[in-house]
Amino acid sequence: MNTRFDMMLPRRQTILGGVALAAGAARPANAQLTIDMTKPSFEPVPIAIVDFKGDKVGADIAGVVRNDLQNSGLFRSIPPSAFIQQNMDPNAPPRFPDWRSVGAAGVVVGQATTSGGNIKVDFRLWDVVVGQQATGLSFTSQPDKWRRLAHIIADAIYKRVTGEEGYFDTRVAYVAETGPLGNRVKRIAIMDQDGFNTRYITDGKTIALTPRFSPTLQEIVYMAYGENNAPPRVYLQNVESNRRELLGNFPGMSFAPRFSPDGTKVVMSISADGNTDIYEMDLRGRALRRLTSGPAIDTSPCYSNDGTQIVFNSDRGGTQQLYVMGAGGGGERRISFGEGRYATPVWSPRGDFIAFTKISGGSFGIGVMRSDGSGERMLANGFLVEGPTWAPNGRVLAFFRQQPNSGGRAGSVTLHQIDITGRFERQMPTQTDASDPAWSPLIPQ
Amino acid sequence: MKKLPLRLLILVALALPTAATAQRADPVYVEDRLNQLQQAISLLTGQVEQLQYRTQQLQQQMEKMQADYEFRLEQVEKGGARPGGTPAARPTTPSTAAAPPAAAAGAADQVYNDAFKKLQDGDYAGAEKGFRAFVQRNPHHALAGNAQYWLGETYYARRDYQNAMTAFAEGYKVYKSSPKGPDNLLKLGVTLATLGRKSDACAIFARFAQDYPRATDLQKRRIEQERQKNGCG
Amino acid sequence: MRMIKALTAIAAMILIAACSNDQQAAAPATTTVTPGSVADFRQNVGDRVFFDTDQSTIREDGRQTLNRQAEWLKKYGNYQITVEGHCDERGTREYNLALGERRANAARQYLVAQGIPAARIKTISYGKERPDPVGSDEAAWARNRRAVTALQ
Repeated sequence: MNTRFDMMLPRRQTILGGVALAAGAARPANAQLTIDMTKPSFEPVPIAIVDFKGDKVGADIAGVVRNDLQNSGLFRSIPPSAFIQQNMDPNAPPRFPDWRSVGAAGVVVGQATTSGGNIKVDFRLWDVVVGQQATGLSFTSQPDKWRRLAHIIADAIYKRVTGEEGYFDTRVAYVAETGPLGNRVKRIAIMDQDGFNTRYITDGKTIALTPRFSPTLQEIVYMAYGENNAPPRVYLQNVESNRRELLGNFPGMSFAPRFSPDGTKVVMSISADGNTDIYEMDLRGRALRRLTSGPAIDTSPCYSNDGTQIVFNSDRGGTQQLYVMGAGGGGERRISFGEGRYATPVWSPRGDFIAFTKISGGSFGIGVMRSDGSGERMLANGFLVEGPTWAPNGRVLAFFRQQPNSGGRAGSVTLHQIDITGRFERQMPTQTDASDPAWSPLIPQ
Repeated sequence: MKKLPLRLLILVALALPTAATAQRADPVYVEDRLNQLQQAISLLTGQVEQLQYRTQQLQQQMEKMQADYEFRLEQVEKGGARPGGTPAARPTTPSTAAAPPAAAAGAADQVYNDAFKKLQDGDYAGAEKGFRAFVQRNPHHALAGNAQYWLGETYYARRDYQNAMTAFAEGYKVYKSSPKGPDNLLKLGVTLATLGRKSDACAIFARFAQDYPRATDLQKRRIEQERQKNGCG
Repeated sequence: MRMIKALTAIAAMILIAACSNDQQAAAPATTTVTPGSVADFRQNVGDRVFFDTDQSTIREDGRQTLNRQAEWLKKYGNYQITVEGHCDERGTREYNLALGERRANAARQYLVAQGIPAARIKTISYGKERPDPVGSDEAAWARNRRAVTALQ
């Protein structure tokens, strides 16, 4: 088990993406090997992913690709037991009638070869309907990075079929929860998007909450309590070296941190004498600037994708609502006007939507609205659902669900993902109970 | 619901002097008073935000309606083509279902907006259902007079002048003082004239000056045009 | 509220009974708690006050508890104090941290107004992270919306 956490591959052994395999000219989008996920209804694309040639790792890679695509809700992976054509040449066109008869719109074939201490993986996606290659790429990396290669292949297929960027080569940071609820251990963990390679980056001696990735994935910010009842503070931690530093030593509590899209600033809440306002810290000079004032609670700030605005949560109007202001403060305006309380706003990486938690009528919901507050839509509801976070393509959200406690025992807390149409929700596997997910950007290649 | 914060504020205001006499020297009193004032202010802040939002929405609605109205007038003024003339040729989509129940004010607005959208799209049957449902369920809504007027327009556009006349007449009678009152009167007269009842039309136009002394110049001009066209005395 | 006080009283009695049992004390149950001890503060004064949903205003029952706390704390001046603010689970994590801070601060301000030096009292918010009792019903939530005066 490799415990060291490589956030980025060393430069010289970087994955060689984008080496196109020439075999038939790429054709424009075909009716059946494409999908428009914004349409009100669609059928998942039936796709056959053949085990890649090359020992065990070839089959393992195909398994990861199948899992990724199936979990997106946009694909239906045809079980290998149904395949007619066997022992395929990864470089030759498949027997298309065989694949048509098992109902596949696309076939993925590939091979993995090891040479000079590196692993080389190439694959082709064949469009069964028109009988031509749809895409084909080749990658090289260290052998222990084969899972990443598989995710990158799944992203390439997803992009070719949906027209949207993929999100499989990503990580999710979250709060791993263990122990009895009255004395719960909460520590920060990071895993691959599909639940593998979990690593704990705080020790659990004090409660740590709300992790968020920097745009490069090299750092996270989070809030942790101090030892001996010291108030919560915001920490910046390098996820490779695990070195952590306190972001500002304020007398009160500081929490709810989030990076600016360019990674140069962190916005957070600071409490003084019971009053909570939003501050911005410039990471280069550690200069602190106050962005809101007044006796209300102003918290959960999040930058817009272009960094020019901040959406946040305030109870200045009597109940928790969402407000937008300029990134330097000022021009605050309320954007949520539905029934209930609104919290934890997060701006989509595409800029089009703001996701939020809504509490109304005794239950919780996860919803999205356009960034001007119009077009509100609820995606998921439950006893307690909270804390949406966007996948980098802005088409999928993760959040957490908590079941009611009963008989003095804690209800389960689990991570879930859902697409922005609200059609397809699935639980994300975690080793322990888990809350506060933060979806990373695509891992730099 | 809307009056609640104000009532609370009054309660706070009333409660404070009594508390003052009892606990003037108590520092806790000052703290309490600050808390209460803060709560009252945040309730008012919330209320102001809601009102601003509502005003903004109404303004947008009005602008949309005005644009639509002016467009229609222009069409009428150009060569006297009836507003229903061209749109009737547009492909109309059959209305799907009855308008959703208008329980809350938001739902009512939604019904109105949906109906208006259908009207703009040329789906007159759908718009008719929507506006009729809106008026039936929200007879005292601020937009009821407007909905009644547009209900008449849905018939007029389909050259169903009998129903158009009834709708405009009701709009003029029931919602006389609504912002759409003058328009209901005007279209009632125009419809009567179209049905060949010129003297009735002239009698309706004659009421305009008396009923709506503060009508806009545009409305006055339109009435005058219609009077001349129909040879009213 | 009366019911909660009654419950506290019953809980205190059970605790006292348990103590006296353990120690096989011959003396009346009430004397087993040393005056001026943390146990004395918790059982005979009451270490926590409760809040309404989403509120941080000290209620009438809370004032009485805080008045008793202030008296006791003046008598036993050797303790440093941390007021912990807590919330029920029916809010979002970050907002609840801020709300807990507000509650802790409200209790602190009240104690200061009763003459406890401000420098003696620290505050900390646990938001919804430390439920006591654990439960997902109205009764549990009411007990969780609390400010607890902890002694060091």
